[in-house]
Amino acid sequence: MFYRIAAIARHNWIVRLRDPGQIISYIAMPMVLMLVLKPLYVRALDAGSTQVATGLMVMFSVFAIGLAGNSILSERTWRTWDRLRVSRAPAIELLVGKTFPIFLVMVLQQTILVIYGVIAIGLPLPAEPWWVALAILIWAFALLAIGAALATLVRSHGELSVISDVGALTLSSLGGALVPLSIMPEWAQIAGHASPGYWALTMLQAAVAGNESAMLLPASVLLAIGLVAGAFAARRLARGWSRGKLM
Amino acid sequence: MLEVVDLVKRYGPVTALDGFTLSVASGEIVGLVGHNGAGKTTFVEIVSNLLRQDSGHVTIDGKPPADVRGQVGVAPQHIALYPTVTVREHLVLFGRLGGLRRAALDTAIDDLAVLLRLTDLMDRRTGRLSGGQQRRIQAATALIHRPRLMLLDEPTAGADLETRQAILDVVKQRAGEGAAVVYTTHYLPEITELQATIAVARDGRVIARGTYDELIEGLPGEVRLTLDNEEEISVSTTEPTATLIDLLNRAERPVSAVDLRNPSLDDLYHSLAARDAS
Repeated sequence: MFYRIAAIARHNWIVRLRDPGQIISYIAMPMVLMLVLKPLYVRALDAGSTQVATGLMVMFSVFAIGLAGNSILSERTWRTWDRLRVSRAPAIELLVGKTFPIFLVMVLQQTILVIYGVIAIGLPLPAEPWWVALAILIWAFALLAIGAALATLVRSHGELSVISDVGALTLSSLGGALVPLSIMPEWAQIAGHASPGYWALTMLQAAVAGNESAMLLPASVLLAIGLVAGAFAARRLARGWSRGKLM
Repeated sequence: MLEVVDLVKRYGPVTALDGFTLSVASGEIVGLVGHNGAGKTTFVEIVSNLLRQDSGHVTIDGKPPADVRGQVGVAPQHIALYPTVTVREHLVLFGRLGGLRRAALDTAIDDLAVLLRLTDLMDRRTGRLSGGQQRRIQAATALIHRPRLMLLDEPTAGADLETRQAILDVVKQRAGEGAAVVYTTHYLPEITELQATIAVARDGRVIARGTYDELIEGLPGEVRLTLDNEEEISVSTTEPTATLIDLLNRAERPVSAVDLRNPSLDDLYHSLAARDAS
């Protein structure tokens, strides 16, 4: 079992490494924006450094949904998913092997951005780094599951790109990634609670502050979202894209 | 080895399989022929456990397809490879998924690379290779783990002569070692080359099954005489030798060429299709 999962994961890691453009841009762009926007946030807000670093990290990690989606959708474009399904590996092994490298890439992206935030932007050094690590793992899991579910619903890379890019901007903005929720209009403050970005931001800011009890609710919400989306994606992917299925 | 009984599969209003029945023994190659839409690919997908039939039974070695995962090797009709991954990396992936490890995997890769003439391509990415080369790689990924049942869905479609011959040679070799093979194709001469028994599919059913000799028995061949003035006389007959002698006796001018053509698989298919339609 582990041998087959490792084989699929290794293979998908190779596929990821051969096409690194998307993830490089999702790491480089927030770095540049954090640097440029930092003075504005520091003047406008008490915790401006924390807001700009965690906010842009959340926003660009939501963009990485497209990474998960594209990776899975490519299996359909290349018609390779059914070839894997014919092998000895059951669906659960295929899914774990397929998604684990993407999960690692997402964790890597967020970790780099947090470290960059501390070093270059003035994000307070977390009192308990393990809480930040846990928050990153939970957020990456939720994003991975949402991206995988999305990939089973869309019909093309173009459709995925539109949904993930527009969705990322909308959800992360509504969630307070650009402007703190407390100074947004009342309707936006209410709507923001429906955004995974809001829960991610709340969890990450609590983790940075070392306030683990404040992490509990957002972490639970994100885990629940991840589990539901993950179960949906797993069910759809286990059925494959054969004729008469899915589409 | 493979027993398929009375399979029915519908996609909405379209009936893809309508009582499809076929059995294949170990070491046997069955050439499955039929027009597009005859149900060949749906049959392959059900036996591969990719699709579930609406009714009917499939067993491989007496077990349902879901219980014998990994004993089936499938080369689908369309190229299904990772364009950014090398040939060797493909074979490693599919070999490992087939249960091969270390030395056994290395040996299997080396053997197939030689048989399918991939040795010089091993470290090249498949997306940069020609269609024929990709066909050979696809076949290699289906055969790397030495499956006991091989389902090859038009494995040489669009391939050059070298690719076609390489694939046919490996298929014959694996069947000689005991693998059961279902080989769907539109290139009927391949069936003869493989010395396969034949199953003719039409409208989701197998309408004829047997050896080439059994199936063409009673079908007319053709006798063609060319006279010295280049006039041609062509006669369709079930007794070509007698007909030829008769034509030669009755010819009023010298004969410059004689052509005797036995019934082909094309003739067989058209005859069966016409009979089935009527």
